[in-house]
Amino acid sequence: MRSTKQEDQRLTRLRAADRISAPEIIQALLPTLVRQRGDRLLGQAPALTAGFGRTTDGLGLAVLGIDRGHDLASRQQKNGGALTVAGYRTALRVVNHAQKFGLPVISLINMPGADASPESERWGQSQAIADLIMAMGQLTVPNVAVFLGEGHSGGALAFANANRILMLDDALFNVASPEAVAAILHGQQSVSAAIDLLPMTAPELQQRGLVDQVVAHTDDQLVTKVIQAVRTQLAPLMPVSAAQLIAEREAKFQRFVAAWPLEKSE
Amino acid sequence: MSHYPKSGTWQTCRACGRHVHQSQWGQWRQCPYCQHWQRLTARQRLTQLVDPASFQPLPMPEQAHDALAFPGYQEKLTTASHQSGADEAIIIGTAKIAKRPCVLAVMDSHFMMGTLNTVVSRRLQRACAVAQRRRLPLIVVTASGGARMQEGLYALFGMNLILAAVARLAAAAVPLITVLTDPTMGGVSASFAFKGDVIVAEAGAKIGFAGPRVIQQTMPAQLPADFQSAEQLWRHGMVDAVVARPDLRAYLQTVLASYAMGGNADAID
Repeated sequence: MRSTKQEDQRLTRLRAADRISAPEIIQALLPTLVRQRGDRLLGQAPALTAGFGRTTDGLGLAVLGIDRGHDLASRQQKNGGALTVAGYRTALRVVNHAQKFGLPVISLINMPGADASPESERWGQSQAIADLIMAMGQLTVPNVAVFLGEGHSGGALAFANANRILMLDDALFNVASPEAVAAILHGQQSVSAAIDLLPMTAPELQQRGLVDQVVAHTDDQLVTKVIQAVRTQLAPLMPVSAAQLIAEREAKFQRFVAAWPLEKSE
Repeated sequence: MSHYPKSGTWQTCRACGRHVHQSQWGQWRQCPYCQHWQRLTARQRLTQLVDPASFQPLPMPEQAHDALAFPGYQEKLTTASHQSGADEAIIIGTAKIAKRPCVLAVMDSHFMMGTLNTVVSRRLQRACAVAQRRRLPLIVVTASGGARMQEGLYALFGMNLILAAVARLAAAAVPLITVLTDPTMGGVSASFAFKGDVIVAEAGAKIGFAGPRVIQQTMPAQLPADFQSAEQLWRHGMVDAVVARPDLRAYLQTVLASYAMGGNADAID
Protein backbone atom coordinates (compact mmCIF):
# COMPACT_ATOMS: atom_id res chain seq x y z
CA MET A 1 0.00 0.00 0.00
CA ARG A 2 1.32 3.46 -0.88
CA SER A 3 0.98 6.32 1.49
CA THR A 4 -1.99 8.58 1.02
CA LYS A 5 -2.08 12.28 1.73
CA GLN A 6 -5.25 11.89 3.74
CA GLU A 7 -4.95 11.14 7.39
CA ASP A 8 -6.27 7.74 8.23
CA GLN A 9 -10.01 7.95 8.95
CA ARG A 10 -9.62 5.99 12.15
CA LEU A 11 -7.09 8.51 13.43
CA THR A 12 -9.22 11.45 12.33
CA ARG A 13 -12.05 10.10 14.47
CA LEU A 14 -9.83 9.69 17.53
CA ARG A 15 -8.47 13.19 17.14
CA ALA A 16 -11.74 14.89 16.26
CA ALA A 17 -12.93 17.90 18.25
CA ASP A 18 -16.24 16.22 19.13
CA ARG A 19 -14.64 13.01 20.35
CA ILE A 20 -15.83 11.93 23.78
CA SER A 21 -13.42 13.49 26.27
CA ALA A 22 -12.13 12.83 29.75
CA PRO A 23 -13.71 15.99 31.24
CA GLU A 24 -17.17 14.88 30.00
CA ILE A 25 -16.83 11.52 31.69
CA ILE A 26 -15.37 12.98 34.87
CA GLN A 27 -18.27 15.41 35.13
CA ALA A 28 -20.75 12.53 35.00
CA LEU A 29 -18.68 10.21 37.18
CA LEU A 30 -17.76 12.69 39.92
CA PRO A 31 -20.18 15.64 39.67
CA THR A 32 -18.56 17.33 42.66
CA LEU A 33 -14.93 16.79 41.68
CA VAL A 34 -12.35 18.34 43.95
CA ARG A 35 -9.88 19.29 41.30
CA GLN A 36 -6.21 18.85 42.15
CA ARG A 37 -4.18 21.17 40.04
CA GLY A 38 -0.43 21.62 39.75
CA ASP A 39 2.62 19.79 40.99
CA ARG A 40 3.52 22.44 43.62
CA LEU A 41 6.89 22.83 41.96
CA LEU A 42 6.91 23.63 38.27
CA GLY A 43 3.32 24.51 37.55
CA GLN A 44 0.39 22.71 36.02
CA ALA A 45 -0.71 21.14 32.75
CA PRO A 46 -4.06 22.26 31.32
CA ALA A 47 -4.41 18.94 29.47
CA LEU A 48 -4.80 17.11 32.78
CA THR A 49 -8.12 17.07 34.61
CA ALA A 50 -7.44 15.36 37.92
CA GLY A 51 -8.74 15.14 41.44
CA PHE A 52 -11.06 13.15 43.63
CA GLY A 53 -14.65 12.99 44.73
CA ARG A 54 -17.66 10.76 45.23
CA THR A 55 -19.96 9.17 42.70
CA THR A 56 -23.67 9.86 43.07
CA ASP A 57 -23.97 6.55 44.95
CA GLY A 58 -21.16 7.47 47.34
CA LEU A 59 -18.07 5.68 46.03
CA GLY A 60 -14.87 7.66 46.56
CA LEU A 61 -12.62 7.78 43.49
CA ALA A 62 -9.60 9.61 42.12
CA VAL A 63 -9.40 10.47 38.43
CA LEU A 64 -6.67 11.34 35.94
CA GLY A 65 -8.04 12.59 32.63
CA ILE A 66 -6.01 13.72 29.64
CA ASP A 67 -7.68 15.38 26.69
CA ARG A 68 -6.63 17.31 23.63
CA GLY A 69 -9.10 20.16 23.81
CA HIS A 70 -12.30 20.63 21.79
CA ASP A 71 -11.49 23.73 19.77
CA LEU A 72 -8.45 25.59 18.49
CA ALA A 73 -8.04 27.75 21.59
CA SER A 74 -8.38 24.90 24.07
CA ARG A 75 -6.14 22.70 21.94
CA GLN A 76 -3.44 25.32 22.07
CA GLN A 77 -3.92 25.75 25.78
CA LYS A 78 -3.81 21.99 26.36
CA ASN A 79 -0.78 21.51 24.13
CA GLY A 80 -2.88 19.14 21.99
CA GLY A 81 -2.99 16.72 24.94
CA ALA A 82 0.79 16.34 25.17
CA LEU A 83 1.40 16.51 28.90
CA THR A 84 4.18 18.66 30.23
CA VAL A 85 6.41 17.52 33.07
CA ALA A 86 4.19 19.38 35.52
CA GLY A 87 1.29 17.25 34.27
CA TYR A 88 2.98 13.93 35.04
CA ARG A 89 4.06 15.22 38.44
CA THR A 90 0.57 16.50 39.21
CA ALA A 91 -0.74 13.04 38.32
CA LEU A 92 1.85 11.56 40.68
CA ARG A 93 0.62 13.80 43.47
CA VAL A 94 -3.00 12.80 42.81
CA VAL A 95 -2.07 9.12 42.80
CA ASN A 96 -0.15 9.37 46.09
CA HIS A 97 -3.08 11.22 47.63
CA ALA A 98 -5.50 8.56 46.38
CA GLN A 99 -3.38 5.86 47.95
CA LYS A 100 -3.27 7.70 51.25
CA PHE A 101 -7.07 7.89 51.42
CA GLY A 102 -7.80 4.51 49.85
CA LEU A 103 -9.39 5.85 46.66
CA PRO A 104 -9.26 3.73 43.50
CA VAL A 105 -7.67 5.58 40.56
CA ILE A 106 -9.39 5.86 37.17
CA SER A 107 -7.37 7.18 34.24
CA LEU A 108 -8.99 8.39 31.03
CA ILE A 109 -6.61 8.60 28.09
CA ASN A 110 -6.59 10.38 24.75
CA MET A 111 -3.18 11.87 24.12
CA PRO A 112 -0.57 12.12 21.39
CA GLY A 113 3.00 11.04 22.07
CA ALA A 114 5.44 12.86 24.29
CA ASP A 115 5.74 16.60 24.45
CA ALA A 116 8.80 17.14 22.26
CA SER A 117 10.16 20.38 23.65
CA PRO A 118 13.35 21.66 25.27
CA GLU A 119 11.34 22.59 28.39
CA SER A 120 10.09 19.04 28.93
CA GLU A 121 13.63 17.73 28.55
CA ARG A 122 14.96 20.42 30.86
CA TRP A 123 12.55 19.56 33.66
CA GLY A 124 12.99 15.84 33.47
CA GLN A 125 10.28 14.30 31.30
CA SER A 126 12.10 10.97 31.60
CA GLN A 127 12.12 11.01 35.38
CA ALA A 128 8.52 12.21 35.59
CA ILE A 129 7.26 9.38 33.36
CA ALA A 130 9.38 6.76 35.15
CA ASP A 131 8.11 7.95 38.53
CA LEU A 132 4.48 7.75 37.45
CA ILE A 133 4.85 4.32 35.85
CA MET A 134 6.41 3.03 39.04
CA ALA A 135 3.91 4.69 41.35
CA MET A 136 0.96 3.30 39.35
CA GLY A 137 2.53 -0.15 39.41
CA GLN A 138 3.01 -0.06 43.18
CA LEU A 139 -0.40 1.39 44.03
CA THR A 140 -2.04 -0.23 47.03
CA VAL A 141 -5.47 0.81 45.70
CA PRO A 142 -7.08 -0.55 42.52
CA ASN A 143 -6.55 1.33 39.27
CA VAL A 144 -8.43 1.15 35.99
CA ALA A 145 -7.32 2.74 32.72
CA VAL A 146 -9.70 3.69 29.91
CA PHE A 147 -8.47 4.49 26.39
CA LEU A 148 -11.01 6.95 25.01
CA GLY A 149 -8.86 7.73 21.99
CA GLU A 150 -5.22 6.96 21.51
CA GLY A 151 -2.26 6.64 23.83
CA HIS A 152 1.28 5.71 22.87
CA SER A 153 4.71 5.27 24.35
CA GLY A 154 5.85 5.67 27.94
CA GLY A 155 3.61 8.66 28.54
CA ALA A 156 0.45 6.61 27.98
CA LEU A 157 1.91 3.64 29.87
CA ALA A 158 2.33 5.90 32.89
CA PHE A 159 -1.49 6.14 33.01
CA ALA A 160 -2.19 2.59 31.86
CA ASN A 161 -0.01 0.59 34.26
CA ALA A 162 -3.24 -0.60 35.83
CA ASN A 163 -5.17 -3.58 37.17
CA ARG A 164 -7.71 -3.30 34.36
CA ILE A 165 -7.57 -1.76 30.90
CA LEU A 166 -10.67 -0.72 28.97
CA MET A 167 -10.80 0.64 25.45
CA LEU A 168 -13.39 2.13 23.19
CA ASP A 169 -13.65 -0.19 20.20
CA ASP A 170 -11.84 2.23 17.89
CA ALA A 171 -9.15 3.38 20.36
CA LEU A 172 -5.43 2.68 19.97
CA PHE A 173 -2.63 1.80 22.41
CA ASN A 174 0.86 1.26 21.07
CA VAL A 175 4.57 1.63 21.70
CA ALA A 176 4.56 4.58 19.28
CA SER A 177 2.07 6.52 17.16
CA PRO A 178 1.08 5.05 13.80
CA GLU A 179 3.00 7.94 12.21
CA ALA A 180 6.16 6.94 14.07
CA VAL A 181 5.69 3.30 13.06
CA ALA A 182 5.31 4.35 9.42
CA ALA A 183 8.41 6.54 9.76
CA ILE A 184 10.72 3.68 10.73
CA LEU A 185 9.62 1.97 7.51
CA HIS A 186 10.72 5.01 5.50
CA GLY A 187 7.35 5.56 3.86
CA GLN A 188 7.06 2.04 2.49
CA GLN A 189 3.79 1.72 4.38
CA SER A 190 1.07 4.29 4.87
CA VAL A 191 0.02 5.46 8.31
CA SER A 192 -3.23 3.51 7.83
CA ALA A 193 -1.30 0.36 7.06
CA ALA A 194 0.95 0.94 10.07
CA ILE A 195 -2.08 0.59 12.37
CA ASP A 196 -2.42 -3.01 11.23
CA LEU A 197 1.29 -3.88 11.43
CA LEU A 198 1.34 -4.04 15.22
CA PRO A 199 -1.37 -5.06 17.68
CA MET A 200 -2.72 -1.69 18.81
CA THR A 201 -6.47 -1.78 18.20
CA ALA A 202 -8.96 -2.60 20.94
CA PRO A 203 -10.23 -5.91 19.45
CA GLU A 204 -6.68 -7.08 18.78
CA LEU A 205 -5.50 -6.23 22.30
CA GLN A 206 -8.59 -7.78 23.84
CA GLN A 207 -7.98 -10.96 21.91
CA ARG A 208 -4.39 -10.95 23.19
CA GLY A 209 -5.63 -10.69 26.75
CA LEU A 210 -4.45 -7.20 27.59
CA VAL A 211 -7.74 -5.36 27.35
CA ASP A 212 -10.43 -6.46 29.79
CA GLN A 213 -13.46 -4.78 28.24
CA VAL A 214 -14.29 -2.96 25.01
CA VAL A 215 -17.05 -0.36 24.69
CA ALA A 216 -18.58 0.57 21.33
CA HIS A 217 -17.80 4.20 20.51
CA THR A 218 -21.07 4.48 18.59
CA ASP A 219 -23.26 3.88 21.64
CA ASP A 220 -25.62 6.82 22.08
CA GLN A 221 -25.29 6.49 25.85
CA LEU A 222 -21.52 6.43 25.64
CA VAL A 223 -20.70 8.36 28.81
CA THR A 224 -23.00 6.12 30.83
CA LYS A 225 -21.63 2.99 29.17
CA VAL A 226 -18.04 3.96 29.93
CA ILE A 227 -18.89 4.65 33.56
CA GLN A 228 -20.76 1.33 33.82
CA ALA A 229 -17.79 -0.49 32.35
CA VAL A 230 -15.42 1.17 34.82
CA ARG A 231 -17.69 0.18 37.71
CA THR A 232 -17.96 -3.38 36.38
CA GLN A 233 -14.20 -3.73 36.25
CA LEU A 234 -13.62 -2.00 39.56
CA ALA A 235 -16.12 -4.01 41.63
CA PRO A 236 -14.14 -7.26 41.91
CA LEU A 237 -10.97 -5.32 42.76
CA MET A 238 -12.43 -3.57 45.80
CA PRO A 239 -11.95 -6.40 48.31
CA VAL A 240 -8.48 -7.35 47.00
CA SER A 241 -5.56 -6.75 49.38
CA ALA A 242 -2.86 -4.19 48.64
CA ALA A 243 -0.14 -6.80 48.12
CA GLN A 244 -2.42 -8.78 45.84
CA LEU A 245 -3.32 -5.72 43.78
CA ILE A 246 0.36 -5.00 43.16
CA ALA A 247 1.13 -8.64 42.32
CA GLU A 248 -1.90 -9.04 40.03
CA ARG A 249 -1.09 -5.82 38.21
CA GLU A 250 2.40 -7.02 37.36
CA ALA A 251 1.07 -10.49 36.52
CA LYS A 252 -1.38 -8.98 34.03
CA PHE A 253 1.47 -7.52 31.98
CA GLN A 254 3.71 -10.56 32.49
CA ARG A 255 0.91 -12.78 31.14
CA PHE A 256 0.54 -10.61 28.05
CA VAL A 257 4.29 -10.55 27.38
CA ALA A 258 4.61 -14.30 28.05
CA ALA A 259 2.95 -14.98 24.70
CA TRP A 260 6.08 -13.62 23.03
CA PRO A 261 8.48 -16.45 22.14
CA LEU A 262 11.93 -16.14 23.71
CA GLU A 263 13.36 -19.61 23.30
CA LYS A 264 16.08 -20.30 20.77
CA SER A 265 14.70 -21.18 17.37
CA GLU A 266 16.26 -24.03 15.49
CA MET B 1 36.40 -7.63 16.44
CA SER B 2 33.08 -7.16 14.76
CA HIS B 3 32.76 -3.43 15.36
CA TYR B 4 35.70 -2.75 13.06
CA PRO B 5 34.97 -2.30 9.38
CA LYS B 6 35.08 -5.60 7.59
CA SER B 7 37.73 -4.47 5.14
CA GLY B 8 40.35 -2.71 7.20
CA THR B 9 41.62 -0.96 10.23
CA TRP B 10 40.28 2.54 9.62
CA GLN B 11 37.08 3.94 11.01
CA THR B 12 35.31 7.20 10.45
CA CYS B 13 34.76 9.26 13.59
CA ARG B 14 31.02 9.83 14.04
CA ALA B 15 31.67 13.35 15.33
CA CYS B 16 34.33 14.91 13.08
CA GLY B 17 34.20 12.57 10.12
CA ARG B 18 37.95 12.02 10.03
CA HIS B 19 39.38 8.61 9.30
CA VAL B 20 41.04 7.23 12.38
CA HIS B 21 43.35 4.27 12.44
CA GLN B 22 42.63 1.48 14.86
CA SER B 23 45.80 2.16 16.82
CA GLN B 24 44.90 5.84 17.19
CA TRP B 25 41.61 5.16 18.99
CA GLY B 26 43.68 3.83 21.87
CA GLN B 27 42.57 1.94 24.94
CA TRP B 28 39.63 4.30 25.65
CA ARG B 29 38.41 4.56 22.08
CA GLN B 30 38.71 8.32 21.79
CA CYS B 31 39.11 10.22 18.52
CA PRO B 32 42.59 11.79 18.50
CA TYR B 33 41.34 14.76 16.43
CA CYS B 34 38.12 15.82 18.12
CA GLN B 35 38.23 13.87 21.42
CA HIS B 36 34.88 12.25 20.69
CA TRP B 37 34.36 9.03 22.63
CA GLN B 38 33.50 6.17 20.34
CA ARG B 39 30.51 4.09 21.40
CA LEU B 40 31.67 0.88 23.04
CA THR B 41 30.37 -2.61 22.58
CA ALA B 42 29.20 -4.35 25.73
CA ARG B 43 32.34 -6.49 25.70
CA GLN B 44 34.63 -3.46 25.40
CA ARG B 45 32.77 -1.81 28.25
CA LEU B 46 33.19 -4.87 30.46
CA THR B 47 36.92 -4.98 29.78
CA GLN B 48 37.24 -1.36 30.87
CA LEU B 49 35.12 -1.65 34.00
CA VAL B 50 35.60 -4.96 35.76
CA ASP B 51 38.48 -6.90 37.26
CA PRO B 52 40.09 -9.17 34.64
CA ALA B 53 38.32 -12.52 34.29
CA SER B 54 35.81 -11.61 37.02
CA PHE B 55 32.77 -11.42 34.75
CA GLN B 56 30.54 -14.45 35.07
CA PRO B 57 27.59 -14.33 32.70
CA LEU B 58 24.15 -15.08 34.14
CA PRO B 59 21.90 -17.34 32.07
CA MET B 60 20.86 -15.59 28.87
CA PRO B 61 18.90 -18.20 26.93
CA GLU B 62 16.49 -15.70 25.38
CA GLN B 63 16.60 -14.94 21.72
CA ALA B 64 14.76 -12.25 19.78
CA HIS B 65 11.85 -13.31 17.59
CA ASP B 66 9.97 -11.53 14.88
CA ALA B 67 6.71 -12.77 16.37
CA LEU B 68 4.58 -10.05 14.74
CA ALA B 69 6.18 -10.48 11.32
CA PHE B 70 7.02 -6.80 11.25
CA PRO B 71 8.40 -5.73 7.86
CA GLY B 72 12.20 -5.95 7.79
CA TYR B 73 12.61 -6.91 11.45
CA GLN B 74 14.01 -10.39 10.89
CA GLU B 75 16.60 -8.98 8.48
CA LYS B 76 17.50 -6.28 10.98
CA LEU B 77 18.02 -8.88 13.72
CA THR B 78 20.22 -10.98 11.48
CA THR B 79 22.30 -7.99 10.40
CA ALA B 80 22.59 -6.73 13.97
CA SER B 81 23.87 -10.04 15.22
CA HIS B 82 26.35 -10.39 12.33
CA GLN B 83 27.66 -6.85 12.68
CA SER B 84 27.83 -6.70 16.45
CA GLY B 85 28.78 -10.27 17.24
CA ALA B 86 26.24 -10.05 20.08
CA ASP B 87 23.02 -12.04 20.33
CA GLU B 88 21.03 -9.12 21.76
CA ALA B 89 21.36 -5.58 23.04
CA ILE B 90 22.36 -6.48 26.60
CA ILE B 91 24.58 -8.82 28.57
CA ILE B 92 24.13 -9.58 32.26
CA GLY B 93 26.38 -11.23 34.79
CA THR B 94 28.19 -10.94 38.07
CA ALA B 95 31.56 -9.26 38.27
CA LYS B 96 34.03 -7.63 40.58
CA ILE B 97 35.23 -4.06 40.50
CA ALA B 98 38.38 -3.68 42.60
CA LYS B 99 37.41 -6.95 44.28
CA ARG B 100 33.94 -5.73 45.19
CA PRO B 101 31.21 -7.99 43.82
CA CYS B 102 28.22 -6.66 41.92
CA VAL B 103 25.64 -7.66 39.37
CA LEU B 104 26.28 -5.91 36.09
CA ALA B 105 24.05 -5.33 33.06
CA VAL B 106 25.61 -3.70 30.01
CA MET B 107 23.56 -2.53 27.05
CA ASP B 108 25.03 -2.46 23.57
CA SER B 109 24.10 0.26 21.08
CA HIS B 110 25.70 -1.78 18.31
CA PHE B 111 22.75 -4.19 18.40
CA MET B 112 19.72 -2.36 16.96
CA MET B 113 20.72 0.80 18.84
CA GLY B 114 20.40 -0.97 22.15
CA THR B 115 16.63 -0.86 21.91
CA LEU B 116 14.55 -2.28 24.74
CA ASN B 117 12.69 -5.38 23.61
CA THR B 118 11.32 -8.56 25.20
CA VAL B 119 14.79 -10.11 25.49
CA VAL B 120 16.45 -7.07 27.05
CA SER B 121 13.51 -6.73 29.40
CA ARG B 122 13.65 -10.35 30.55
CA ARG B 123 17.41 -10.23 31.11
CA LEU B 124 17.22 -7.00 33.08
CA GLN B 125 14.48 -8.46 35.27
CA ARG B 126 16.74 -11.44 35.90
CA ALA B 127 19.66 -9.15 36.79
CA CYS B 128 17.41 -7.35 39.31
CA ALA B 129 16.21 -10.62 40.83
CA VAL B 130 19.75 -12.00 41.18
CA ALA B 131 21.02 -8.75 42.72
CA GLN B 132 18.15 -8.88 45.20
CA ARG B 133 18.67 -12.53 46.17
CA ARG B 134 22.42 -12.27 46.53
CA ARG B 135 22.27 -8.79 48.05
CA LEU B 136 24.70 -7.40 45.51
CA PRO B 137 24.58 -3.86 44.13
CA LEU B 138 23.23 -3.75 40.58
CA ILE B 139 25.10 -1.62 38.05
CA VAL B 140 23.27 -1.00 34.78
CA VAL B 141 25.21 0.60 31.93
CA THR B 142 22.59 2.03 29.57
CA ALA B 143 23.03 2.60 25.84
CA SER B 144 19.73 2.68 24.04
CA GLY B 145 17.59 4.56 21.58
CA GLY B 146 14.43 3.58 23.50
CA ALA B 147 11.81 0.88 23.08
CA ARG B 148 12.09 -1.40 20.05
CA MET B 149 9.10 -0.46 17.95
CA GLN B 150 9.14 -3.69 15.93
CA GLU B 151 7.93 -5.57 19.01
CA GLY B 152 5.07 -3.18 19.75
CA LEU B 153 3.54 -3.20 23.22
CA TYR B 154 5.54 -6.35 24.01
CA ALA B 155 8.61 -4.11 24.04
CA LEU B 156 6.90 -1.16 25.74
CA PHE B 157 5.92 -3.28 28.74
CA GLY B 158 9.61 -3.80 29.45
CA MET B 159 9.38 -0.36 31.03
CA ASN B 160 6.82 -1.20 33.73
CA LEU B 161 7.98 -4.78 34.23
CA ILE B 162 11.59 -3.73 34.83
CA LEU B 163 10.36 -0.96 37.12
CA ALA B 164 8.41 -3.55 39.11
CA ALA B 165 11.64 -5.51 39.58
CA VAL B 166 13.46 -2.28 40.48
CA ALA B 167 10.78 -1.56 43.11
CA ARG B 168 11.50 -4.93 44.74
CA LEU B 169 15.21 -4.14 44.67
CA ALA B 170 14.52 -0.82 46.37
CA ALA B 171 12.28 -2.47 48.99
CA ALA B 172 15.12 -4.87 49.78
CA ALA B 173 17.54 -1.93 50.11
CA VAL B 174 19.83 -3.21 47.38
CA PRO B 175 21.44 -0.30 45.55
CA LEU B 176 20.88 0.37 41.87
CA ILE B 177 23.63 2.34 40.16
CA THR B 178 22.93 3.48 36.63
CA VAL B 179 25.66 4.55 34.23
CA LEU B 180 24.16 6.51 31.37
CA THR B 181 26.22 6.28 28.20
CA ASP B 182 25.68 7.45 24.64
CA PRO B 183 22.79 7.29 23.78
CA THR B 184 20.23 6.90 26.58
CA MET B 185 16.81 7.87 25.25
CA GLY B 186 13.07 7.19 25.26
CA GLY B 187 11.78 4.08 26.97
CA VAL B 188 15.09 3.44 28.70
CA SER B 189 15.62 6.94 30.05
CA ALA B 190 11.94 7.08 31.10
CA SER B 191 12.15 3.87 33.09
CA PHE B 192 15.11 2.31 34.92
CA ALA B 193 17.88 4.68 33.73
CA PHE B 194 16.71 7.50 35.98
CA LYS B 195 15.70 5.23 38.86
CA GLY B 196 19.28 4.69 40.03
CA ASP B 197 20.11 5.45 43.66
CA VAL B 198 23.23 6.91 42.11
CA ILE B 199 23.10 8.10 38.51
CA VAL B 200 26.35 8.80 36.69
CA ALA B 201 26.59 9.93 33.08
CA GLU B 202 29.58 9.25 30.91
CA ALA B 203 31.16 12.44 29.58
CA GLY B 204 29.93 13.29 26.11
CA ALA B 205 26.82 11.08 26.28
CA LYS B 206 23.51 12.24 24.81
CA ILE B 207 20.68 11.60 27.24
CA GLY B 208 17.04 12.54 26.93
CA PHE B 209 13.49 11.42 26.27
CA ALA B 210 12.44 12.76 22.86
CA GLY B 211 15.00 12.69 20.08
CA PRO B 212 16.68 16.01 19.17
CA ARG B 213 15.46 15.81 15.58
CA VAL B 214 11.85 15.48 16.71
CA ILE B 215 12.25 18.40 19.09
CA GLN B 216 13.97 20.56 16.48
CA GLN B 217 10.97 20.08 14.16
CA THR B 218 8.70 21.73 16.69
CA MET B 219 10.71 24.91 17.16
CA PRO B 220 12.18 27.66 15.01
CA ALA B 221 15.34 28.31 17.03
CA GLN B 222 18.42 26.15 16.81
CA LEU B 223 18.92 23.82 19.78
CA PRO B 224 22.08 24.58 21.73
CA ALA B 225 25.08 22.36 20.97
CA ASP B 226 25.08 20.88 24.47
CA PHE B 227 21.34 20.04 24.38
CA GLN B 228 20.69 16.67 26.08
CA SER B 229 24.40 16.29 26.85
CA ALA B 230 25.63 14.65 30.03
CA GLU B 231 27.24 17.95 30.98
CA GLN B 232 23.98 19.89 30.55
CA LEU B 233 22.05 17.33 32.58
CA TRP B 234 24.63 17.62 35.33
CA ARG B 235 24.35 21.41 35.40
CA HIS B 236 20.57 21.00 35.63
CA GLY B 237 20.88 18.60 38.55
CA MET B 238 19.59 15.54 36.70
CA VAL B 239 22.62 13.29 37.31
CA ASP B 240 24.98 12.96 40.27
CA ALA B 241 28.19 13.08 38.28
CA VAL B 242 29.66 13.27 34.80
CA VAL B 243 32.68 11.03 34.58
CA ALA B 244 35.11 10.63 31.71
CA ARG B 245 35.53 7.11 30.42
CA PRO B 246 39.00 6.42 31.89
CA ASP B 247 37.72 7.39 35.36
CA LEU B 248 34.46 5.40 35.37
CA ARG B 249 35.91 2.28 36.93
CA ALA B 250 37.42 4.25 39.82
CA TYR B 251 34.13 6.12 40.28
CA LEU B 252 32.13 2.89 40.49
CA GLN B 253 34.71 1.46 42.85
CA THR B 254 34.11 4.39 45.21
CA VAL B 255 30.33 4.01 44.97
CA LEU B 256 30.50 0.27 45.70
CA ALA B 257 32.85 0.85 48.60
CA SER B 258 30.52 3.50 50.00
CA TYR B 259 27.58 1.10 50.08
CA ALA B 260 29.77 -1.53 51.71
CA MET B 261 27.33 -4.32 50.86
CA GLY B 262 28.51 -7.77 51.88
CA GLY B 263 26.66 -9.74 49.25
CA ASN B 264 27.61 -13.05 47.78
CA ALA B 265 28.72 -13.15 44.18
CA ASP B 266 28.92 -16.92 44.15
CA ALA B 267 25.60 -17.77 45.79
CA ILE B 268 23.58 -20.39 43.96
CA ASP B 269 20.13 -19.14 43.02
